[in-house]
Amino acid sequence: MSAQTNPLRSAGKPIDWGQIGSYTVLIVLAVIYLGPLLMLVNTALKTTPSFMRDATGLAVEFSLQNFAEAWNKANFPKYLFNSILYTVSATTLYVVMAVFVAFPIARGYVKYAGFFLTLFVIALFLPPALIPQFQLMLNLGLYNNPVGYILLFVVNPIGIVILVNYIKTIPTELDEAAALDGCGYFRFVMSIVLPLIQPALATVIVLHAIGIWNEIIAPTIYLTSKDYYPITRGLIVFQGVYGSNWPLLAAAVLMLTFPMLVLFLFLQRYIVAGLTAGSVKG
Amino acid sequence: MKKTLFSLLALVVIASLSLAACGPAATQGPAATPAPAAVTLKVLVHQNPPMVAFMEAFNKTFQEKHPNITVDMSVVNAGDLSTVSQTRLAANDVDVVDIFGFANAAQPYMKKVDAPNWQQLIEAGLLMDLSDQAFIKNYDEATIKDAGSYNGKVYAINLGRVSYSGIYYNKDLFAANNVKVPTTWSELVAACEAFKAANIACMTAGGKDGWPIFVGAYGLIGAIYPDQAGLVEGLWNGTIKWNDAKSLEMWEKMQIYARDMIEPGASGIPGDGAPGRFASGTIAMYPGGTWNAPAIDEAKPSFKWGFIPFPGSDNAEDNKYLFGKYDQGWAVAANTPNKEAALLYLSEFSEPANYQAFANAVGFIPTQPTAKLDTAIGAEVAPYLANFRVGYEQYWIAPKGAGQFANPWASYFKPYGTDDDPQVLADKVQADLQAGLDAVK
Amino acid sequence: MNYHFGRGWARWTPFLLLLPGLAAYFVIALGPSLATAVYSFTDASGLKGAPVRWVGFDNYQEFLFMGRASVDNLNALGRTLVFCFFVTVIQFGLGLFVAVIINQNLKGRNIFRTLYFMPVILGAVIQGLIWSLFLYPLGGPLARVLELFGTRSEFLGGQPVEAFAWVIVVQIWANMGTTMIIFLSGLQTISTDYYEAARIDGASPWQVFTNITWPLLTPSVNTNLTLNIIGSLQAWQLFLVLLGYRNGTQVLGYLIYATGFGQTSGSVTSSFRQGYAAAASIVLFLLVLVIGTVVQNVLRRREARILG
Repeated sequence: MSAQTNPLRSAGKPIDWGQIGSYTVLIVLAVIYLGPLLMLVNTALKTTPSFMRDATGLAVEFSLQNFAEAWNKANFPKYLFNSILYTVSATTLYVVMAVFVAFPIARGYVKYAGFFLTLFVIALFLPPALIPQFQLMLNLGLYNNPVGYILLFVVNPIGIVILVNYIKTIPTELDEAAALDGCGYFRFVMSIVLPLIQPALATVIVLHAIGIWNEIIAPTIYLTSKDYYPITRGLIVFQGVYGSNWPLLAAAVLMLTFPMLVLFLFLQRYIVAGLTAGSVKG
Repeated sequence: MKKTLFSLLALVVIASLSLAACGPAATQGPAATPAPAAVTLKVLVHQNPPMVAFMEAFNKTFQEKHPNITVDMSVVNAGDLSTVSQTRLAANDVDVVDIFGFANAAQPYMKKVDAPNWQQLIEAGLLMDLSDQAFIKNYDEATIKDAGSYNGKVYAINLGRVSYSGIYYNKDLFAANNVKVPTTWSELVAACEAFKAANIACMTAGGKDGWPIFVGAYGLIGAIYPDQAGLVEGLWNGTIKWNDAKSLEMWEKMQIYARDMIEPGASGIPGDGAPGRFASGTIAMYPGGTWNAPAIDEAKPSFKWGFIPFPGSDNAEDNKYLFGKYDQGWAVAANTPNKEAALLYLSEFSEPANYQAFANAVGFIPTQPTAKLDTAIGAEVAPYLANFRVGYEQYWIAPKGAGQFANPWASYFKPYGTDDDPQVLADKVQADLQAGLDAVK
Repeated sequence: MNYHFGRGWARWTPFLLLLPGLAAYFVIALGPSLATAVYSFTDASGLKGAPVRWVGFDNYQEFLFMGRASVDNLNALGRTLVFCFFVTVIQFGLGLFVAVIINQNLKGRNIFRTLYFMPVILGAVIQGLIWSLFLYPLGGPLARVLELFGTRSEFLGGQPVEAFAWVIVVQIWANMGTTMIIFLSGLQTISTDYYEAARIDGASPWQVFTNITWPLLTPSVNTNLTLNIIGSLQAWQLFLVLLGYRNGTQVLGYLIYATGFGQTSGSVTSSFRQGYAAAASIVLFLLVLVIGTVVQNVLRRREARILG
């Protein structure tokens, strides 16, 4: 019994109950995940009158027209570029800053590292401060300004917490060896630490980028000029105070989601295959 | 390594700056007689698709007529409107503001209440006094007084009213089952029984959102308290209680409405799903607002519908009122640098022909005396318009400390809420209200 | 900790490079939050040009002690704790379980992983829409399944307790993917040598998990517990999109949102009340701070015990 259900066994015995059990769990969960997600696809394929009459009925029309209409109405060609610009630049800035915050804190290379860590953990608890933050940005001249908007997203304590906890698993002997080889601090972090924390880095990038990509309240308040709108701001045409156009919105959301899905697919191999056996002694 | 990083950062910054530099280009007027200075007029509206579509067309015409003016209209979700008006007024980043929900000001008998947000905007000096503008005269005097004035000065023009105390009914189903269109409460009860006997659901409603159940039963409140402003004052000074004999009758009827009239399962239907469900043709009635008519038609119903006031009383005379609210209005930012353009904009909007086109597009009950709502729902409500009343909750400001049950909502009853005894509920509602009244004494 | 990358001025390099992140945090996050704390003692509306008066603890008094409204607020506080408990326990457990399973060399694991992460990509508004449709009581998919068993439910429109339970389900569904990938990235740090040794010793999977995986996963456990607890205490978006303002279902985070954005029902005539909303959010902050600090302390001690 014990040897047969070892999760690391992949072949050998004729019936691998452990593997069957694993697949059962994964498939049951997959149904729970797929069911609601298919509602989104189904909605996107329905015409508006048919959705109004029967919201949950199976789409029989398979009207791909929703996608074309949503693309144009939400101004995808114009706003998509802005979304990409904000997400890429803010995420890049943030990740670089976060690594240089997390590494010395995790290692204790700065004085009061414990205090700094506490500060960033407290940042997780901080109350929302929409109006004071707006007043600050306004006084700094960063209102209705893409640079200011990007600056809003260079702070994210979640990423710091993930990185600090992860860096703790990297043995400190590495630092010593690198320093002996004459490697400077900056170069050490950029060329040795970064590759070693790939799984955590990829996680942080994905979470942070998704957060910026889906943000809707911040652009509503901070970017009032249409030239600066991100694509989430364009989706508003499908909503309404007396009812929304759900089929078009669903189609738009599927298109909106696509770049983030690609990003996740690209980064997930770093999340799960960062370190191989034995490269680091736990 | 260091270099690539810094060039990357530099690239990011430059890209952002270049974007900042390419702000909206102001269109230059053609070189006619002394060319007026180019103006960008910033307009803020909340998302209501037919209204936005109309405004886009209107803006286009307006810009053609006044080539020196560019209209830059931003659309935000209704839920974000008050926050965005707050930030944009603070940033001097708006000229013409959408006022959504200009109801009654805080009254002297209301102790320690906070003023409604439009009143706060005026008191903070953020809205321009429009009293002397000629276009004000295009609107009903009552409208200007009820939904645009404060301390004797006019700050907003209101663009239309909506009613929510009516019932849509399926004319074909009524005819096929020989059911009389109800004008009294007992007739309504009888109609529902007749439909039920024929295996047809009597009513549907967007029960998941709660408030559609409440406004659906508005006729019950209105039938008992036709003077809605008086009701609010009575509740504040204690002469009317939500658990007195008169109110108890209202609660009893509300329970019948919530429990027996509306189809089972309606408590899961979202507010914007109900019109479609009614349009599917299987349900006899749908208590809804006048704004739901376009949604019903959009679902392409295969039957004819009508609209009647909710008959809350057994005396047909009491049931001829329509209750509702003022919808959207325009105001001008007090320190706009584009005062002339902003006033010109409102003035042209208010021209009867333009306003009529607006009312048709949006489906509001007009607030200009010369305009008529030229749609199916317009024809249905026309007979009752003389009896239009602003609803109680537009006057109501709850005392601080009042509990969350301090409202006359039919949605407190099962299956939407947790209550099933009218007397117990009435006492709970009054106790929640009384807690607030006692707290601010 | 010994620093190896130089002495004297070079000793300052880590601090100088940390500075931008720290400065941004102080200016963009901490500063405005401190301003919120100050606002909470005033009657500020938040409008430009409106007078601001110092009112001491009046806002707190109103939120916590005034009339029935304060009882409702305290009930919301209790509900917040219940929500936090169920979401944290289930999401943490499920995320760990799925991560361990998916970390095996199984066919199609990329597909499963992507599928479980999809809701995170969608965001709350869409999560709300698709669950409203999935749980539609009149002919929705789940309603039809229940019909096969001869039963029915109102789901999100049901009694407050039932509706609340469904928000817990959706919250877990929506965020389990994040917990899972943090665990997955943590699992990569555990050398397969340990598993190899355990296999040779004939350890059962449960022994492998309790003796190797669980202790060595401590950093990810800390990350996930912290994020799950804080995230669920502050949750509001799903309450907004799934239930709206409904008696008997509100949690603190939602009440604060509703107050701040003027969306409390009952009075359509909402007011700008920056000061009061600030006080409400400081109450939530203190709650999260207390729970978060206790959890952090426990976690740090445990980490010191296990990892040395």
